[in-house]
Amino acid sequence: MNAMGFAWRSLVRQPARASLGVLGVAAVGALLFDMLLLSQGLVISMRGLLERTGFDLRVTATDALPGQGPLIPNAIERSQAIAHLPSVRSAIALRFANAVVLAGGPRGVYTTFQGVAGTGAVHPWTILRGRDFTSGRPEIVINENTAARTQLAPGSRVMLRGSCTDQAQALPPVPFIVSGIAQFPFDSPNGTTIATSLPMLATACGGNESNEADVIMVASQEGAGASAAVSDVARLLPDLHVLSNAEAVNRFERGGFTYFRQISTVLTAVTLSFAVLLITVLLTVSVNQRLGEIAALRALGFSRGRVVADVFCESVLIVGGGGLLSLPAGALLAIGLDRILKRIPGIPADVHFFVFEPSTLQIHLLLLSATAIVAALYPIRIVTRLPIAATLRDEVVG
Amino acid sequence: MSTTNGHVIEARNISRVFPMSAGPVTAVADVSLEIRPGDHIAIRGPSGCGKSTLLHMLGCVEPPTAGTLLFRGDDVTKLSDRQRSLLRLRQIGFVFQRFFLLPMLTAAENVELPQSEANVPKAERRQRTQELLEYVGLAARAAHRPSELSGGEMQRVAIARALANNPGLLLADEPTGELDRATGEQIASLLDRVNADGTALVIVTHDPALAERSTRILSMRDGRIESELTSA
Amino acid sequence: MWVRCLLALIGAALIASATLHAADTLPSVLISRQLSEGEHLSVGDVIRLSASEDGSNVRQFRVAGVYEPTPDPARLGAVIREVQLHLPDLLGLTREPSVPSGSEYVETINVALVDPNDAEAFSRDVRARMPGIDAQPASGAAESTGPFIVLRRFHLAIAIVTVVASTVFLLALTIMLVDERRAAVGVLRLIGLPIRRILLQLFLEGVLIAVVGSMFGLALSLVSEGIINQFFQWRYDTALVFVRVTPQVAAVCVAIAIPLGVSATVVASWALLRRNGLRLARR
Repeated sequence: MNAMGFAWRSLVRQPARASLGVLGVAAVGALLFDMLLLSQGLVISMRGLLERTGFDLRVTATDALPGQGPLIPNAIERSQAIAHLPSVRSAIALRFANAVVLAGGPRGVYTTFQGVAGTGAVHPWTILRGRDFTSGRPEIVINENTAARTQLAPGSRVMLRGSCTDQAQALPPVPFIVSGIAQFPFDSPNGTTIATSLPMLATACGGNESNEADVIMVASQEGAGASAAVSDVARLLPDLHVLSNAEAVNRFERGGFTYFRQISTVLTAVTLSFAVLLITVLLTVSVNQRLGEIAALRALGFSRGRVVADVFCESVLIVGGGGLLSLPAGALLAIGLDRILKRIPGIPADVHFFVFEPSTLQIHLLLLSATAIVAALYPIRIVTRLPIAATLRDEVVG
Repeated sequence: MSTTNGHVIEARNISRVFPMSAGPVTAVADVSLEIRPGDHIAIRGPSGCGKSTLLHMLGCVEPPTAGTLLFRGDDVTKLSDRQRSLLRLRQIGFVFQRFFLLPMLTAAENVELPQSEANVPKAERRQRTQELLEYVGLAARAAHRPSELSGGEMQRVAIARALANNPGLLLADEPTGELDRATGEQIASLLDRVNADGTALVIVTHDPALAERSTRILSMRDGRIESELTSA
Repeated sequence: MWVRCLLALIGAALIASATLHAADTLPSVLISRQLSEGEHLSVGDVIRLSASEDGSNVRQFRVAGVYEPTPDPARLGAVIREVQLHLPDLLGLTREPSVPSGSEYVETINVALVDPNDAEAFSRDVRARMPGIDAQPASGAAESTGPFIVLRRFHLAIAIVTVVASTVFLLALTIMLVDERRAAVGVLRLIGLPIRRILLQLFLEGVLIAVVGSMFGLALSLVSEGIINQFFQWRYDTALVFVRVTPQVAAVCVAIAIPLGVSATVVASWALLRRNGLRLARR
């Protein structure tokens, strides 16, 4: 009987204890798996979201994130100049404001209001029903939440009141036609968003500042790549700040996302310690209860290496069994925790906190393997230093 | 391996001292003896006289702190732990007072275990196990676990296990200590048979009746061999 | 020669005096510690501030002090580069040239009441007397902020999973502990002690172990509270408190731990005591 078979029989001998050990490892393993998913999940998800918008550069007036800093003056001309760069496929100027859509109730519906101008046909949203707005015409696209709350559909006429500054304003409402229903990638689950052309947004906001934007979004040529486009844009417009998707993700990572990275690190350490403690105690008690048998086996000629292998295999079986169970348990737990965290205000609906990558599984396996090894160290120490004769004597006296 | 005078074991002035917090304790002091193939030796003496310690030294479980111990001519004190383990596995069999069968294995699996550790091929060890269980009269209980056996049956399985790798020496520490008289008599007869079939046998015992079955009776007191009686 | 030296000295002294006088007449500001360290500024330095990205409308200020920004969880990870100005100076700095002085606005007014317990009533009064103004007690602000509610739920979910894992661990441990004494328990049963009597003893032992264990756990959490806070405060260069073991938290933990520990002992013991005494006593 090899060490693994022997270890299996030892565990089966105490089914309650072995089952609880496996369950305990499964529970902490699930938490460990989730913390590994969380440590990079937000970053991976945000990176994916940024890439799915179809734009890989963002140009702003300062190093503040889009929408948080000053506006870019002469944005339309600048976006057109950027679009003509050989390394650039398209460029659009985008401005963020707010609006009240006068429908769906006496006070209307408060929405985010985006204005777009540019040469490219690609807009940072996906049309679900109807069509995109036509530049120069008073048309808007709205998202599903807005459509549901205002009962608007493609073709509906609506009045809306824009607000493009932080100050309270009492601008007159402006008429628009809903041309389509769209999905905006950065919408939060309950967010309401509408979009039109930049000049129409400026009109709704009183007609001023029609040539300013919060950000110019740039899509690089497929062959050229983002780095080449960053260099070209920086050379063309040295007074502006260019941010690639990768750099934007780095900024997020260093900023608000860092909390989740840190908490995942702390909880990973806690769960690993817990698992090591659990398995060490289980194995140590198991070994201590079998000292006589182990001494007898040593007297019969079993080598130190063999009894060590028996203990180690027990650890592997408990951690391995628990580790296998931890994967589906962790996946279920991740779904639940993701649902909780996605309720943070402002989190886009398409962003997830727990994202699976094959490397996560590898790290999980590595950590569990290390747990099995570390947990077995103390009981292994007991069996390697076991005084055979003294133990046999003690067993008789005991 | 070389042999010296054909002895299985040759002990020359071996001692075993245990360092204790209150001062060193000499469990075995300056003992010399030879064990020849086919010997049937009993070691008796009062509790604490060092007979189990002597047995453990003879079985290469515990090395002497002084003196020389040769096993078939090889100095045991110069062997590594791994080498001593191999020696015990292949050349020495142990029978314990408390049996020490593995409770999660059947009788057959307990007997197979040392053979498996000695890398005996599966078919061969199955065959040998069957033979040994028949030898001890428990072929019908091969699939039973120790919890399903009586004390005497467990000791018989333990003897079969000790003989698994065909050792030249069998060491038994109080083999009938936890058995009633009738069962002890059965075990004693079985051990006699083992010895008659060529295995040297050393038994530590309190039981005078068991000791008198031996051809050599060593009496120990205070760690020393006080006397040796030899019967024909 | 000495006259020329004397004149040079007097001239230098006059210039220094004029500079000092000019600095003294400058409006004063406070800067955050992070800004002070990042830009190597100290008290007395003269700095130039502009509210425009093109650097226009620059004004000079004198650094009167360095302060530690109030810890803000929403700005975790950010380097707080802040300047605190007197309100008239800030309004003067940020006012558009076309906007007449006196027509500016502020976002909030912080009010410290003589009796903080009056906050709710005071808020209602302000809202009633000044339509268009929203007044709220500050103590409820943190609780009502969405991210904190979500994070609380998240941490609660993690805590629940940890309690489940701990319960499994506890059960495994108590089963092992009770099993170690099976022979003694078997003998007690054989000599006639009723199950209830043995169970009571095991229950009392469980209570003792659970209480001592809880106290140890509390002590451990207090120590780790300090370590975690120190680490994260160093890591993020903030005075935020990340972990706080309040009496309420401690009471909840003890209220969960002790019954769990006792229950685990009783369950493990009951499973053992149901077996035949002879089987228990036999090794």
